[in-house]
Amino acid sequence: MAEPILSARNIKKYFNVSGGTLKAVDGISFDIYKGETLGLVGESGCGKTTAGRTIIRLYEPTGGELFFEGQDIYKISRHNMKPVRRNFQMIFQDPYASLNPRMTVEEIIAEPLEIHGIYKSEKQRRERVYELLQLVGLNEEHALRFPHEFSGGQRQRIGVARSLALNPKFIVCDEPISALDVSIQAQVVNLLKNLQNQMGLTYLFIAHDLSMVRYISDRVGVMYLGMMMELSKSEELYDHPIHPYTQALLSAIPIPDPEIQRSRKRIILEGDVPSPIDPPPGCRFADRCFYTVDECRKVTPEFKEVRPEHFVACHRSGEILAGTAAMTK
Amino acid sequence: MENILDVKNLQVSFKTFFGEVEAVRDISFTVGKKETVAIVGESGCGKSVTASSIMQLLPMPPAFYKGGQILFKGEDIVKKTEREMQHIRGSKISMVFQDPMTSLNPTMKIGRQIVEGLMKHQHLSKKEANKKAIEMLKLVSVPQPEKRVNQYPHEFSGGMRQRVMIALAMVSNPELLIADEPTTALDVTVQAQILDLMKELQDKLNMSIILITHDLGVVADMSDKVIVMYAGQIVEQGTVNDIFKNPMHPYTIKLLASVPRLNMKRDESLNYIEGTPPDLYIPPKGCAFFDRCDHAMKVCKDYMPDPEYHSKEHYSRCWLNHPLAKDVRREGSVR
Repeated sequence: MAEPILSARNIKKYFNVSGGTLKAVDGISFDIYKGETLGLVGESGCGKTTAGRTIIRLYEPTGGELFFEGQDIYKISRHNMKPVRRNFQMIFQDPYASLNPRMTVEEIIAEPLEIHGIYKSEKQRRERVYELLQLVGLNEEHALRFPHEFSGGQRQRIGVARSLALNPKFIVCDEPISALDVSIQAQVVNLLKNLQNQMGLTYLFIAHDLSMVRYISDRVGVMYLGMMMELSKSEELYDHPIHPYTQALLSAIPIPDPEIQRSRKRIILEGDVPSPIDPPPGCRFADRCFYTVDECRKVTPEFKEVRPEHFVACHRSGEILAGTAAMTK
Repeated sequence: MENILDVKNLQVSFKTFFGEVEAVRDISFTVGKKETVAIVGESGCGKSVTASSIMQLLPMPPAFYKGGQILFKGEDIVKKTEREMQHIRGSKISMVFQDPMTSLNPTMKIGRQIVEGLMKHQHLSKKEANKKAIEMLKLVSVPQPEKRVNQYPHEFSGGMRQRVMIALAMVSNPELLIADEPTTALDVTVQAQILDLMKELQDKLNMSIILITHDLGVVADMSDKVIVMYAGQIVEQGTVNDIFKNPMHPYTIKLLASVPRLNMKRDESLNYIEGTPPDLYIPPKGCAFFDRCDHAMKVCKDYMPDPEYHSKEHYSRCWLNHPLAKDVRREGSVR
């Protein structure tokens, strides 16, 4: 595969809260290659959104290194970030909250162009806005309208147009479709895919809809409580999950086929996701896992490649892979 | 099967500043004892309005029953006064709402919220009600119920709050549970727990369930009968196998096709439905799906077809399924 466009090494983001340190992202490492889509899944509170925001330095990282095209962007001064920022953009979850209701569509899409001073004349800028509107399946007539005049799917298209304004190389899509109806979700996903093919974009696609993530992503990473548990090519991950958490997560997706759905066996996890405030040492999943041994509660498992391009953080991955792991619960 | 609920030609509208919105336009369906009926459709199709109207929970005005009947064990809910409804709500029919974060009172302890209903409907003493509240939390698998009754909603996680909501709905052994997107706000692993819990309780208490959701996976998992709604009307209804294995209405077919499947190839593009549902201020005269349908004919624009039965329980409302359109269906590529 091509060179990584982005390499994250041991990224950490902690928040100070009353009662301790909330370790939202606690040392995750991965590469994203040019032109690919990396999916990031996990349950609410697992740190996937924080990870997405820390990667593009919307949050100041607590630790780690992030190489974007070979340059560590965490070491650049705030002032010098501006030209670098052009390269990465974000599409937000809520198409209702992420567009300013008092601005017209043209103003919304032109704002990044204005901030970065891309066009000298208003005419050129307007032409670029029209071009962007067409790119996302809207047209010039929409430019003077306000966000409330659009449906959810159309608004998300406006959000996509805005994120493309500066010709970014890398886009973080933070749950871009979760607020939309099923039939509209497919429209937006197809649009994102087409744009990627046309413009060679690279995506980090954050979502909790696991079947949609499988469909859109080349590789998928699974997070749990601030840590990356498993990362692999999406077919491999969905067909042969190794980490017990991934197995449970995948078995919980309801399949829209009554025969298959009713005959399959689900792994029902007990309990809730524990608090990320000052978590105990060892594997974060140990309390809910079916394979927990003493070691799991003492030593944090290393995130290692157990099969080609398949990374897992589990002490018992070898046994699980060989099919010899005995359940302890 | 004995029917517990029989909705006949129900019409519900809202009076607004801009005119009347016809949210539910002449729908009929039944719910049998111990049966789970799923209502699916896009936002704004009238599924939540249908659910709320069974409980008389719609604010009136602006909402009003424009016509039809909702027969719950033979008695018409539409005609009930607010006072009479208070005896039905929460005791014979209960509802679980979508958002467990906002539907519990944040200033009341969990125990008191459960006790409130018990004392009102079952006339239990405070002590008995407290005991029952702990029992209910145990039933929905909330750990340490004795401690939990004295906690406030913010001390519960999303999944635990939804369990409390279910406990609240179950306290007086309702005969009908209306679950309006009960798991939409939850993660998949928690969703699996909650759905299993609902099935288990249904078996234990012989309850009927109306499940409103847009997650077709949940529908496949839970329901016996499926109602597909579009723009305030039922466009197709059948058993869960009819709808998933042999969908007959173009809307149902497209809806099913727009869900990504786990065995899908990644270079396949997802099917989607172009456009948006019509405005219900001026509902279309003919089939409401007309502008978004790939197989629309002249007749579809002006006339809404009657239900065409494919089997005793399975019908769709589409001109393509009319006996006279047999040849069109054969030539065309509806499926």
